[in-house]
Formats: sequence, structure tokens, C-alpha cells
Amino acid sequence: MNTTVWLSQIQSLVSLGFMSLFLLIELGLAWVLLFFRLADRYSPGNAWMLAYRFWVRVYALAAILALAAGIPVLIELGSLWPGLLDRIGDVAGPLLAAAILTTFIVKSCFMSAMLFGQRSLSDTAYTAVVFMVAAGTTLSVLWVLALVGWMQTPAGTGFLNGEYFVTDWYQVVFNPSVGWLFLLLAAASGMAVAFMLLGVIAGRASSLPADDSGRQVFRAGAVIGLAAVLLYGVAITGYGRMVATHQPAKAAATAAYWQSGRQPDLILFGWPDEQRESTRAVLAWPHAGGKWLGFDEDGSLIGLDHFSGMQPPVALTFWSFRVALAVALAMLIAACGALWCMRRKYIEHGDLPAGWRRFFSCMTFLGWLAGPALLCHVLAGQAPFIISQTVTFMEVAGSTRPSHLVMGIAAHLAVYSALLLGFIHLLRHGVQYGVVPVARRRGRA
Amino acid sequence: MIVDTLVELLGFSAEDPAFWMPLVFMGLLFAIVVAATLLDGFDIGVGCLTLIAPRELRPRMLSLLSPWRDANEFWLFLGLGVFVAAFPNAWGSIMGQLYLPLCLLALGVLLRSVSFEFRLRAPLNLQQRWILGFGLGSLATAAAHGLLLARLVVGYRSGGGYLAFGLFVALCCVAAYCLLGAAWLIMREQGPLRLRAVFWGRRAVRWAAAGAVGVSVVLAFANTGVFLKWSDGPQWSLVACLWVVLLVCFVVIEITLQRMVTHSDGTTMLPFLATLLAFLVILGGLFYSFFPYLVLDNITIWDASASVSSLGLVLAASIVALPVALIFNIWVYWRMFGLSRAPVPPGLNRTGR
Repeated sequence: MNTTVWLSQIQSLVSLGFMSLFLLIELGLAWVLLFFRLADRYSPGNAWMLAYRFWVRVYALAAILALAAGIPVLIELGSLWPGLLDRIGDVAGPLLAAAILTTFIVKSCFMSAMLFGQRSLSDTAYTAVVFMVAAGTTLSVLWVLALVGWMQTPAGTGFLNGEYFVTDWYQVVFNPSVGWLFLLLAAASGMAVAFMLLGVIAGRASSLPADDSGRQVFRAGAVIGLAAVLLYGVAITGYGRMVATHQPAKAAATAAYWQSGRQPDLILFGWPDEQRESTRAVLAWPHAGGKWLGFDEDGSLIGLDHFSGMQPPVALTFWSFRVALAVALAMLIAACGALWCMRRKYIEHGDLPAGWRRFFSCMTFLGWLAGPALLCHVLAGQAPFIISQTVTFMEVAGSTRPSHLVMGIAAHLAVYSALLLGFIHLLRHGVQYGVVPVARRRGRA
Repeated sequence: MIVDTLVELLGFSAEDPAFWMPLVFMGLLFAIVVAATLLDGFDIGVGCLTLIAPRELRPRMLSLLSPWRDANEFWLFLGLGVFVAAFPNAWGSIMGQLYLPLCLLALGVLLRSVSFEFRLRAPLNLQQRWILGFGLGSLATAAAHGLLLARLVVGYRSGGGYLAFGLFVALCCVAAYCLLGAAWLIMREQGPLRLRAVFWGRRAVRWAAAGAVGVSVVLAFANTGVFLKWSDGPQWSLVACLWVVLLVCFVVIEITLQRMVTHSDGTTMLPFLATLLAFLVILGGLFYSFFPYLVLDNITIWDASASVSSLGLVLAASIVALPVALIFNIWVYWRMFGLSRAPVPPGLNRTGR
């Protein structure tokens, strides 16, 4: 494959992956913060309010990064894939515009009020603002997911002279994959936030005395984590079935199913070897994989040999899916462990055993893995096509020199890692020493 | 008159949405670019200046910017959004040529918006680091604007000479933003910061003027169409007028800054207004030279625009969002001019929760 194309793919994945990390936190925390506000209204004491004050600062950090990380992603849509919008401009233009306008309205009308206006609003109005931020963020993510989903399973459009045109906007937005992708994202962000809640509280317990607020947040984290895992189970099942129906190549790569018509084992682990067209070191469940593969007209299973020369990167697709599943498994263990630790209602401080404390605190950022892993599976899983079965990455790639791309990727990685370290450091610092309130007054400085 | 000529050339009728919708979006895009330059420009400039400011003045410079950050972050998003939604067929052919400058722009904007907000939330001993990040991000953004402008006016041709021109324009662009930032600081703040800003402004103004002339000359000589339009067309008086206004602006800036060194009085707002006018004239001149092309002599706004139904959708959405945007921006920016006022301490006039 052309060097420019795969370097462009790497850069796209890096930028999207970086954005996804903070989008997961932003989206999940927005709803969790709303829950904290509501819980505060209907329960005595100020434990939930203390939790809100701490986590709204973390939310602010994540929201800033998620928004700013959108700039490179949007720009790369043009600079890395110049041919793409020529072909799908009719579909992508309005969807991107809708996402940007929604974000703009949420940010200008509600986000500033949420981050800087707590003093000047009544409790009810402020809670309403928090709700609007959560709902608005979700809506703008939905617009982007509609586009990503449409690129996976185009619907409601016609394809003429190499250009897509819209016939039915309803079908474009509610294409077959958008629902499952959204559920996956919601569950993944729930898991990322749950890991973070558990990890931060457990980390704090090792140096500071536990308080009521910490205990409640810890329990909330465990419950959110468990709910997210269940939702994730539903979502990934639906997504898997959808992929088997609409994207047989991706399904075959995910299952590492090389030859059509062979016995479909459900391969749990292994190393797919694309040269030998077989999987090494297999741990499989015999005959159980048929449900997750596509069928051709004769009713026989479709394997990777159907797509010779046009097959997705098998190892990447195979492993990204398993990593995404492993995160859920870890979440299940962590959530059950946390509930087990909380089985006595009033644990005293330091009661969280040291082993568990270290366990949770190590897993603080584990939920992040799900974001890039799912992105890899969704986007790289349908390579060489960028639009399912019609437009390839090769067709829409630019003619930028590989040396320039390498420079660009290196610069992106440097800035991204600096910002990532900055985020983790600020979070750690906040956990240790508390957060500072930030004031911003209109027109005055 | 221009409309009639265009209608005749393109064979549309003036009421045809396929004719006027791209024009509306071109106007919207131009308005966003102008607003971004005028409202966000001083922000970038002050950011560049923090790199050469003495350490103890830097926090004050950043806190002066604080009230506009939320709104300033969004101009690039809005501009890109309108561009991609309205002119998808030019999006790739333009953006695809500009990989490295766009990388610089993306990383600069990312770094400066994150650094600014993180500084507010960082412990004291790390704040200088985030201020440095903000400064570097601003420098990268300003330089990227220059590189992009240079590539735009030479029609994306590459080679040694064009690279040198690009670097020259980048340098001048940084200087122009520094001038804008310095002029804004002169107006906003008294004391040592104003004094410094006067000196920064004086250093920057000549480079900014050189850049404006350089860009215009290259634009005219690299593109015969533009040269003809300037010299031969019926609007030569307009072109001459723009040049005179630009000259007057730079002379006014130079003189007022000179006076500020010797006299401490005078109108402190004048340099900022003159710089804004100079920016406006340059942008207007570019727009006039390019119109109706997005890529000179190659892609017009009608070639580039999306289908009428898509444009209609986006237009409807914009009409909903426009009042919000206008009200929000007026609300945010209404105290942009004049001396900075100190915030009211919390709890003085309100009952805090």
C-alpha cells in the first residue's frame, strides 16, 4: 500500500484517538454531574455537593481538551483526505455543520454558565443548565456518529459519477449502525468515568481520611460501572450482529475466519498471520462463531478469502475488538470488587484494603483504552474502504510527501503527549490538594 | 452592476438559489474571517508578546485576555464549519495543498486554548510552563496564518523562492499580530505594561507594513488576473482608495506610537483602531482580488458549492444559530475597548449560594 495513505491513516487514528479519550470523559461526566446535582437536591447533607465541586473541575479540563482536540480532527478531514468531501460533501457538510452549531450553542449559552456562573444562578436554574450541557454534548456527538455510521452503512443516499447525493435525510441520520455506535460510545464513556471515579477515590484514600462524599462517590462509581458493563454487553452484541449483516469483511476479520465455509470456531485469543492466512496460538470455542459472520446468497458463511486484496488489516481488527472487550471484563471485575468492598454499609476510613486501593488506583485511566480500540475497529476494520464498499482510502488520499507526514505525526504526538501528561498531572494535583475555583467575569479583568 | 455581469457570465437568473446561496455563504465566511481577525487577533498578538514580556508581567497579560477566551476559541471552528458545509468541492483541493501549515495551525490553536485554561487551574509553580505553552501556541498560530496566506496568494506553487516568501510572510504576520496585541495592551492597561507595549508596537509596525506590501505585490505579479483586475478594471479608484487608507493607517500608527514615547498623553485607542482598520483593508483587498474565485482562476464559489438542498439545510440552521451567535458575541465583546476595569468582588451585590 502507498506510504502516504497509511501514514495518513495513522495520523487520523492518532488525532481521533486523542479526541476520543476526552470525549468519553466529557460525555460521561456531564451526565454523572447532573446525577450529583439531583442527588444533592433529594438527600440530606452536602456530600454530593462536595463531590460535584471536585468533579466539575475535572469535567472542565476534559471538556476543554475535547473541544480543542476537535480542531486537528476537522482540519485533517481536509488536509489528509482531500478527495473525501468531493465525494460525500452533500452528506457530510450539513452533518458537520449541525455538530459544530450544536457545540457552539451549548458552549456559548450553557457551558460558560456551568463553569463560571454557579454563584449567579438559582439552584434549579443551575441544575437545568447542567442538564442542557449534558443533553447538548450528547446531541453534538450524535451528529458526528451519524456521519461515522453512515460511512459504515450508507443509507438514504444515491451514488452517481463518484459522488453521493442525499435522497432521504431521515435514513441518512438513522442509518443501521448509528444506534449501536451510540450505545457503544455511551457505555464506553460510562466505563471510563466509572474507572476514574473508583480510581480517584481509592487513590485519595491512601493519603487522606475517607469522608462521606468519597464513600458515596465510590458506591456511585461501582454502580455506574456495573450498569455501563451491562449496557456495553448489549451494545457490543448488537454491534456485532449489525457488522455480520452489513460488513461481512469486518466480521470475518474480527473472527479471524479465513476460509469460507469452514467450521466457524469462536476464536477467543490468537495471533492472526496474514501471510499464512491462518491464526497462530489459537484459543477457540468450537462451532460457536457462526452467529458473528455474514452469509452469502447460498447461505454459506463468508470468510476473508471472499475479499482477497481488499481485506481489512486482520490483526488490527481482531485485536482492537478484543481489547475493547477486555476493558469491559476489567470493568466488571472492578465494579464487583468495589461492591464487595462496600458490602458493609459504613466502612471506616482506611477500610478499603491496601490491595484493593492499589488495584483501583492503577485502573484509573484503563477505561480510556476502549475509545481508541473501538475507533480502530470501526474505522480501520473497514479498510481499504473509507465509505463502505464504494470509496477507498487510496482514492481520497492526498499527495503530501511522506517526509512531511512523518514530521506532522511527530509534532502531533509531542503536543498530544504533553497535554495528556498535563491533564493527568492536574487531576493528580487536584486529588491531593483540592481544586481551585476559577472565576471569569464578562468584560472585566 | 457586478451582480448583472455575474448573472450574464454564469447563465443563472439572479433569483436562482444556485446563484445566490453560494454568494450568501461567501459573505458569511468573509464575515467570520473578519470577526475572527478583529476579535481574536489581539488575543493571538498578546499571546505572542508573552514570549518576550518580562516574567512578572505575563500573568497580567493573560488575565486581561481571560474574558474573551470562551468566545475566541470558536472562530476557527465556525469558519471551518461554514467552509466545509458550503464549499465541499473546494475544501479538499485547498486543504490538501496545505498540510504542513495546517498542522502548525491546528497544533498552535490546540496548544493555546488548552494552555490558557489549564494555567488557570494549575498550581502556582507550574503556571509559567502553561504560559509558555500559550505563547508558543500563539506564535505557531500567527506563523501558520502567514504561511497559509503566502501559499494562498502564490496559488499553491512550491519551490525555493516560494518557501522564502512564505517564511517572510509568516514573520510579517507574527509582527502584525504583535502590533495588534501591543496596540490593544496600550489601550487596556497603564503603567509598565503600556510602556513596553509601545516599544513592541514600534518594532512590529514596520514589519507589518512590509508584509502588507509584500503580499499585495506578489499577489498581483503571481496572478495576471488579479493584476488586470486592479489596474485595468473600472474599479481602479477603489483599489487606489484602499492603498491610500492602508498607507494612512500605518502612518497614523507610527506617529501615535512615536508620540507616546515622548508624550504620555494622547488617545490611547487610536493605534488599536488604526491597526484594526489596516487589517480590515488588507482582508477586504484580498477578498476583492479573489472574488469570485476560491482557488484563483480555477475554482469559483459556484463550482465549489454543495447542492442547493444541502445549502438550504445549512442556511436554515445558520439562520437559527445566527441570532444566538450575534447576541452572545455582542454580550461577550461589549467591553473590548477602553481601559480594563477590575471585576467586582463576588458577594458584593449578590447573595452567594
